[in-house]
Amino acid sequence: MMDIGLFIQILVWGLYAGCIYILLAIGLNLIFGVMKVVNFAHGELLMLGAYTAFWIYTYSHINPYLVVPLAMLLIALLGVVIERLGFRPIMGTGKLNEIFLSLGLIYLFQNLVAFLWSTNTRSIHSPYSDVSVPLGSVKLPLDYLVIIAITSVFLIAFQLFMKRTTLGRAMRATSQNREAAALMGINVERMDMLSFALGSALAAAAGGLWLISGQLVDPYMGAISAIKAFAIIIIGGFGSIPGAIIAGLTLGIAENVVPLLMQSFANLLGFSMSFTAWKDTIAFFVLIIVLVLRPTGIFGEKGE
Amino acid sequence: MRFDRMSMRTWLGIGSLILAFLIPLILGINTYLLTVLIIMLVFIIYSSAWNLLVLSGQASLGHAAFFGIGGYVSAILARSLGLPPLATLLVGGLFAAVIGVLIGLTCIRMRAWFLAMVTFGFAVIIRTITAELSWLTGGWDGIPAKRLIPVTIPNYIVYEYYMMLLIAVAVIVVIYLIVKSKMGLALEAIRENELEAKVMGINVTKYKLMAFAISAFFAGIAGALEIHHFGYITPEVYGMDISFWPIIYCISGGLFTMEGPILGTVIITFLDAGLKSLGFTYERLILIGLILILEVIFLPRGFVSLPKRIKSTVSSRHIPR
Repeated sequence: MMDIGLFIQILVWGLYAGCIYILLAIGLNLIFGVMKVVNFAHGELLMLGAYTAFWIYTYSHINPYLVVPLAMLLIALLGVVIERLGFRPIMGTGKLNEIFLSLGLIYLFQNLVAFLWSTNTRSIHSPYSDVSVPLGSVKLPLDYLVIIAITSVFLIAFQLFMKRTTLGRAMRATSQNREAAALMGINVERMDMLSFALGSALAAAAGGLWLISGQLVDPYMGAISAIKAFAIIIIGGFGSIPGAIIAGLTLGIAENVVPLLMQSFANLLGFSMSFTAWKDTIAFFVLIIVLVLRPTGIFGEKGE
Repeated sequence: MRFDRMSMRTWLGIGSLILAFLIPLILGINTYLLTVLIIMLVFIIYSSAWNLLVLSGQASLGHAAFFGIGGYVSAILARSLGLPPLATLLVGGLFAAVIGVLIGLTCIRMRAWFLAMVTFGFAVIIRTITAELSWLTGGWDGIPAKRLIPVTIPNYIVYEYYMMLLIAVAVIVVIYLIVKSKMGLALEAIRENELEAKVMGINVTKYKLMAFAISAFFAGIAGALEIHHFGYITPEVYGMDISFWPIIYCISGGLFTMEGPILGTVIITFLDAGLKSLGFTYERLILIGLILILEVIFLPRGFVSLPKRIKSTVSSRHIPR
């Protein structure tokens, strides 16, 4: 039987990992919704956000949680540049071009970072990393709980922004029907820019929080997380924030629980095997199963 | 003086082929240069294979899966059965084709983005499977592979070069025949408009799967050739780089054309090798990323469209505005 304390610990770990994925997925979802563009280089924005946070923290030593908004601002500006110089010129020239452009961006950013700051892994030591919150028999790291709380705040703020403000409404209108929105006097190109800025900022937040929790940062960390974010959108449904939250948490928890369950199962059958290597493939298995059952994705016809 | 476009293309092709055959004679036995050229030939095969799949509108981001499977199957067979690599690489290619059909079955109904993601995912999954089957594949340490030409033969690199050249030419001729056949037309029709293609009586599923199988077959052969050249194989062969290189080569050369992947591979390989020998590491990859971005925006038909583009800009100057 599995130890219940261990189980809670894994659950919190999964929640925390899920939060990072959700922040990434919601940004990707927003950009996709407004521009109908999939930015495969979205994970690179997470990577750049983490590096920005790392350097600001290393040189200033201010509270790491204050570094995150700064990184978000800088990466949002970068997002605007990417949208203006990269995606806007090729809009409407075909889906393949968007994929290829993202590939170019991935190459550019990964190697630029490797060139500037080497491929060594980086990490910071958060001032709260030794603090943990006791919950029954288990101790939960404070940073994880703070990250979960911060993500919740971001999500609520984002939801309120999209539902209650004029800008948020304009963005939703653009994602529903671009032409009609333009006819109603919405500057759709500004909405494109804004969605890219917001999406990039959320990716940077994910990167910054990832760094604070003591995880390693390297130039190639973005690719796999971007695809996990993509899987979350497909599972949770296009444009759905609650869907993304549920899918993100499920994926975060499944990634941590499934290998353990499989290991217990193998032990039961008399094998001793480790399934930790399969952690990163779970998102793909889910992605493949969902897409085989629904080849157009849960995006449906809206996607084209 | 005016050249007929077709005959000029043919002459250019024959000219570069003669040049390729003469290189070891002109430049002597330069092991470094020949190694670069051998890898270039491998990637010409690989890019042409990728290009065949994208001809049907299916852009795979995980072709390293087929490249690696071809390599592993061929390496393991050559080692355990003692067969010559030239025989086992065909088996490797066939095995990759079978996996290609299986992956294709899950992919053919998907839209461009989903297909890109899912193929990428398959590469990661197959890499994990390979690394976990360590009794067969040596895990992350990899296994040694038989050399295509034994190193003990004097000037083996020259033999290897000519063998690669012959195989590459043969593969390109086969792919050319496929593209010029009814199948090539069907693939292009599917890419332009799948629904219309279906209405015209084209069996979309069949042709898309065939494109997957043939593309995977040649990618597997390319993978087997590469590892029999290097003499070892590790799961790194499934890396993102290996998936992305053919895309970069094809786009920079020119998508959907026969000469695009070849030209792109030659230009980018020389650029890459040149910058590498000057001591640049990441700078060259940054440059290649920039080239990719700029080409997608400003030259979406690749380098092969450059002469036509220049001609049209020059001639448009004579048109009074």
